[in-house]
Amino acid sequence: MLSLVHAKKSIRIENVVASTAIGQEIDLKSIARRLKDAEYEPKRFPGLVYRTKNPKTAALIFRSGKVVCTGAKSVEDVAGGLEKVFKKMGEIGIDVKESPITIQNIVASADIGGELNLNAIAIGLGLENIEYEPEQFPGLVYRLSEPRAVVLLFGSGKLVITGGKSIEDVEAAVEKITRDLEGLDIL
Amino acid sequence: MVMEEIEKVKEVEKAEKVKESEKEEALEEGVRAKCPECGSTQLVHDYERAELVCNECGLVVEEDFMDMGPEWRAFDHDQRMKRSRVGAPMTYTIHDKGLSTMIDWRNRDSYGKSISSGSRAQLYRLRKWQRRIRVSNATERNLAFALSELDRMASALGLPRNVREAAAVVYRKAVEKNLIRGRSIEGVAAAALYAACRQCSVPRTLDEIAEVSRVSRKEIGRTYRFVSRELELKLVPTSPIDYVPRFTSGLNLKGDVQSKAVEILRQAAEKELTSGRGPTGVAAAAIYIASILCGERRTQREVADIAGVTEVTIRNRYKELAEELDIEIIL
Repeated sequence: MLSLVHAKKSIRIENVVASTAIGQEIDLKSIARRLKDAEYEPKRFPGLVYRTKNPKTAALIFRSGKVVCTGAKSVEDVAGGLEKVFKKMGEIGIDVKESPITIQNIVASADIGGELNLNAIAIGLGLENIEYEPEQFPGLVYRLSEPRAVVLLFGSGKLVITGGKSIEDVEAAVEKITRDLEGLDIL
Repeated sequence: MVMEEIEKVKEVEKAEKVKESEKEEALEEGVRAKCPECGSTQLVHDYERAELVCNECGLVVEEDFMDMGPEWRAFDHDQRMKRSRVGAPMTYTIHDKGLSTMIDWRNRDSYGKSISSGSRAQLYRLRKWQRRIRVSNATERNLAFALSELDRMASALGLPRNVREAAAVVYRKAVEKNLIRGRSIEGVAAAALYAACRQCSVPRTLDEIAEVSRVSRKEIGRTYRFVSRELELKLVPTSPIDYVPRFTSGLNLKGDVQSKAVEILRQAAEKELTSGRGPTGVAAAAIYIASILCGERRTQREVADIAGVTEVTIRNRYKELAEELDIEIIL
């Protein structure tokens, strides 16, 4: 039980990816000219990259008018970052029709506190749900169906939770993992 | 009319497939027979007494069973060839499982008389078409190509028959489940070979497989993970111990070094030092330590080259092992 509390406390959101749209097709080239700190290199990446300092996020703006916001450390930062981007675009004369922001992915880290024997976990959790190939990747990949998320477990006891769409998903995933490990008598 | 016929043929084919899979299941059940007394799976066929005996408790499970072997005896190869009435055993490594007919290349009839020159030309044509018709459609052509590729790689790595057979089975299963779509034949073949090596617990590293195949290590690893997940191969993570015999003999080290290295690895596994570490690196470090302890020192460079890891990896693993297992090393 103690480890569950500990693991839950250690959850840290590392990245939030969200998408939205501005409701019209846009000419990236002209925006790139007018926005000084925008990066636009169609040879390398088809979208225009606009980075905000505070909160620290990056918005990828595409020709179709779709916008992807990455790099935010929290769900609130996504909204804050996008707001800044839209304001900036309003300033250069693009009227932005905001549409709802959907969160696509949340990456979080956590710590179980204590070393893990990945070999024992691999056999204990059943080889059909997990993927552990130390030759290719040092972590153990555990694909959860409920909540739909992927957890990477490392020998140091640290976790990476990815693929969740909400903070609750991440917390549920950590809870499930700790319960599973407790059930195996590994913690 | 034609459509109906085609559908009929398809139905028949389906029914045959179902039958085949049922047969395979029945076979598997037979292999996993259990002793009714102690539940052991170690049942031994005693052919001299015609009894099925449990190796654990000695219970005679079955008496007077039928001898499925040949009724003739042969004392050398010639006699065997003469008396045997069957062809080579069935194999998964040939696209038609080795069950197709061949027209002999010798121009002789069944009595051993040579065939007249008039019908020789005809026979030549027949032979040619027989060869061409063996591979009937594109799927089969692909399978034939993949299996020859598997055999080529296995030969280059010097892998035994049973591994080749296992690899062919994995590949065939992948074809049946439509896993090849969108992947290269070579990639899946290499992944099947990698999986088969692990199934037979003679693991090769991805690097070794990549060297003899036409695909990159990364591609093979990716395909392997996909195939093993889809086919539910349930392969346990490779143990560093499995690599020890091959690496030690590659380094010209004696048996005592090998057993010492295995002992070190056993202890390391107990202390959970191998979790999250590449098995080849751990195996290489154990061999390095064992070679020093047995007075047959090999340099880190030599061990690293054979194991396909870097010297830095060996140094790091070696430090961990030596510290945690209290091994004192005097250079």
